[in-house]
Amino acid sequence: MNIFIYEMKTYQNSIIIWSLSISALMLLFMAIYPTFAEDAALMESILSNFPEEFARAFGMGGNLSLTSVPGYFKFIFIYIQLAISIQSSNYGFHFLSVDERELTADFIMSKPVSRRKLVISKFSAAFSGLIITNTITTAAGLISIELFRNGNSYDAGNILVLMSSTFFFQLFFLSAGMLVSVSVKKIRSVLAYSMGLAFGMYIISALKEALGMKALGYISPFYHFEPGYMIEFGKYNMERASISFAFIIVSIVVSWNLYMKRDIHSL
Amino acid sequence: MNIVLRELRSNLKSLIIWSGCMATLILIMMMEFEAYYDNPEMAGLLDAMPQALMKAFSIAGPNLTTLIGFVSIASVYFYIMLGIFAVLLGSSIISKEERDKTAEFFLTLPISRTRAISAKLIAAVINCLLLTGVTAAALYSSAAPYNPDQEFLRFFRLLMSALFIIQMIFLSTGMCTAAVIKHYKKSGNYSVYTLLTAYIISVVISMDNKIDFLKYFTPFKYFEAQYIAASGELELKYLIISAVIIIAGFTGTYLIYPKRDLYI
Amino acid sequence: MHAIEFHKLTKYYGKARGIIEVDFNVEEGEIFGFIGPNGAGKSTAIRTILGLIFPTSGSADIFGRDCIKYGPEIRENIGYLPSEVFYYEKMKVIDLLKYSAGFYKKDCTKRLYELADIMELDLKRRIEDLSYGNKKKVGIVQGLLHQPKLIILDEPTSGLDPLMQQKFFDIISEENSKGSTVFFSSHILAEVQELCSRVAIIKEGKIIKLEDIKTLRQDNYKKIVVKGDNLDSSAYRIEGVSEMTGDTRTLNFFYRGDINKLSRIISSQKIEDILIQEPTLEEIFMHYYK
Repeated sequence: MNIFIYEMKTYQNSIIIWSLSISALMLLFMAIYPTFAEDAALMESILSNFPEEFARAFGMGGNLSLTSVPGYFKFIFIYIQLAISIQSSNYGFHFLSVDERELTADFIMSKPVSRRKLVISKFSAAFSGLIITNTITTAAGLISIELFRNGNSYDAGNILVLMSSTFFFQLFFLSAGMLVSVSVKKIRSVLAYSMGLAFGMYIISALKEALGMKALGYISPFYHFEPGYMIEFGKYNMERASISFAFIIVSIVVSWNLYMKRDIHSL
Repeated sequence: MNIVLRELRSNLKSLIIWSGCMATLILIMMMEFEAYYDNPEMAGLLDAMPQALMKAFSIAGPNLTTLIGFVSIASVYFYIMLGIFAVLLGSSIISKEERDKTAEFFLTLPISRTRAISAKLIAAVINCLLLTGVTAAALYSSAAPYNPDQEFLRFFRLLMSALFIIQMIFLSTGMCTAAVIKHYKKSGNYSVYTLLTAYIISVVISMDNKIDFLKYFTPFKYFEAQYIAASGELELKYLIISAVIIIAGFTGTYLIYPKRDLYI
Repeated sequence: MHAIEFHKLTKYYGKARGIIEVDFNVEEGEIFGFIGPNGAGKSTAIRTILGLIFPTSGSADIFGRDCIKYGPEIRENIGYLPSEVFYYEKMKVIDLLKYSAGFYKKDCTKRLYELADIMELDLKRRIEDLSYGNKKKVGIVQGLLHQPKLIILDEPTSGLDPLMQQKFFDIISEENSKGSTVFFSSHILAEVQELCSRVAIIKEGKIIKLEDIKTLRQDNYKKIVVKGDNLDSSAYRIEGVSEMTGDTRTLNFFYRGDINKLSRIISSQKIEDILIQEPTLEEIFMHYYK
């Protein structure tokens, strides 16, 4: 418990800042919705002259109109996911590497705690931090929608399904970060790794969306938890999400085993 | 001179990884082009698309079936990737002496801090040039099978110049932030989140044209591929703004870093 | 039961040598010196028994229990002070010490304040604002506040001024008299000489000597200085004499062997003064590292 509480304290500021920023971003995006919906209505009337496949190719197909709340929300949620992925990767690359980088490993590991307990405490703290952020931003999202929906209706259940997927989305980046930090000798700069991973995955998914990069798209959790499907059907796209699930399990198991045998070097 | 070499060597691994990722991404992306290239059905449809609609969905290029159109779509992602590289490089090249606890060694060498910055700046610019070079080479070689015409080459040259300018903007931002903010962890965070904010702003702008004036705050809007393709040039006003930012950033670094206390 | 038992403990970092077949025991209640130059493998041995790194082969037991298998239980009774101390920069000293105390099953608050008082530690300051020496003091308090049965010190005195060093040694001796075992690694021999009862000397990863500190000094060498007007150095070149320096007025050398042989040579010459000393550990040490 000792370690968990200490770790939570170190995340405190970060959790507050991320929660506020992501909430503000939701609010900002939803605030644009009323104006955007008007423009989009016009465009969609033009687009209706084109065949369905064509619209789909540009992410505008399906039953969700961009003028509707769910249609708009799935469109902006990608950017929320981008922010979440950066926070999660930051924590992932940070929590097991920090003691070695800042040379406090000698202190903590000469205490009577097992590595098992150390990893579990640190992992739980990082994940709790993400869950707190997630809870706050989910609330902020629902409030923003209520504030700016402009009389349009939406299915709150489907939105909640989408929001719930964030737990797994966060776990993907958290465990990927952990896996890398126990596989390399030392992580000098957490940011370099986390920005690379988060933006890399985002860009892969964005390019897949725009240009259709089939094979490569499958590695990106942005694709596994693509908002459109969940918000439209109110369930996960299991075919894709299971790739993330499998990756999360494998990386946790592998990281665990590597860390139990890891040599902790001094200065 | 030996500082330049040392800096180049210490960043070599990162440069290789980034180059590898960029090249792979571009090659895979361009493999998709085959499906679009000269596809008359697609071309017909796209021609009929209203410009406003395409802009709204960041389908920046006029026509996906041409090289220019296809590359345009990916261009903003090139800006982001190389921007991240540059901002991280700028921030770490200044602050890493403190991070790696080598500051006491490094800054007690018989050289002035100004000279140290110059050497680091040269090394960083070389790094950015090399990464732009790799990107250009990957893009050019994967475009070659599709008979690139003069128009494409002109577009390509401008796009790569824009890419380099954007790298310089973020490099100077990163260096200046690291010079101003003493604590290395914070300075890295600040410069990276500046980039993230700039990107989000650029997204918001494309959704709501009432806030177009925010363009000036986000380098990602300075050299939009669509504009380059249509006009065949980089917009002068943004070239000037870029120059101002770059010069301000580097000057700030030169003025502030030599005077500040080290964080040890 | 031994406090520490090394069983052919070997550690390689990839191909690089750490320690090779280290094999000795530290008795309960003694102050044991572990000496060797930088890079000999002292820290490697210590980091292995603390479970920070894992042996390539062999093992080590602390109070009869394997140090890897029973790591957490063993560390309950270990206090460790590394040569370079690093703590969470943003924490206040008192918070760090309380955090540290929170890991042990017993209540350490009283001892914490006692030690902080002895070391004159300002508990309200932030770790990042502390000087090197003050951080070291935090390290000492942190390592001893739970009154460990085994105290492991890895070159502990660097950064402490002589006054603090003395206080530190006093605390260590006090803990020892209360029954704690002390494992003291150092390359400064004077301090080992002052405190320890037995020493192990490590060189290039191997233990080359394990001895009582008294035997180490007495049995072996005498340091001899002879002064005179016109000394004939060649007369002293007998078996057992080494490291001869000096001129016709003063001769310095070490001697190991039958002291009668030497006294006969000395008495055969006209000398003004003679000095026979116990060599310092330093000098013995130099000999091992030649």
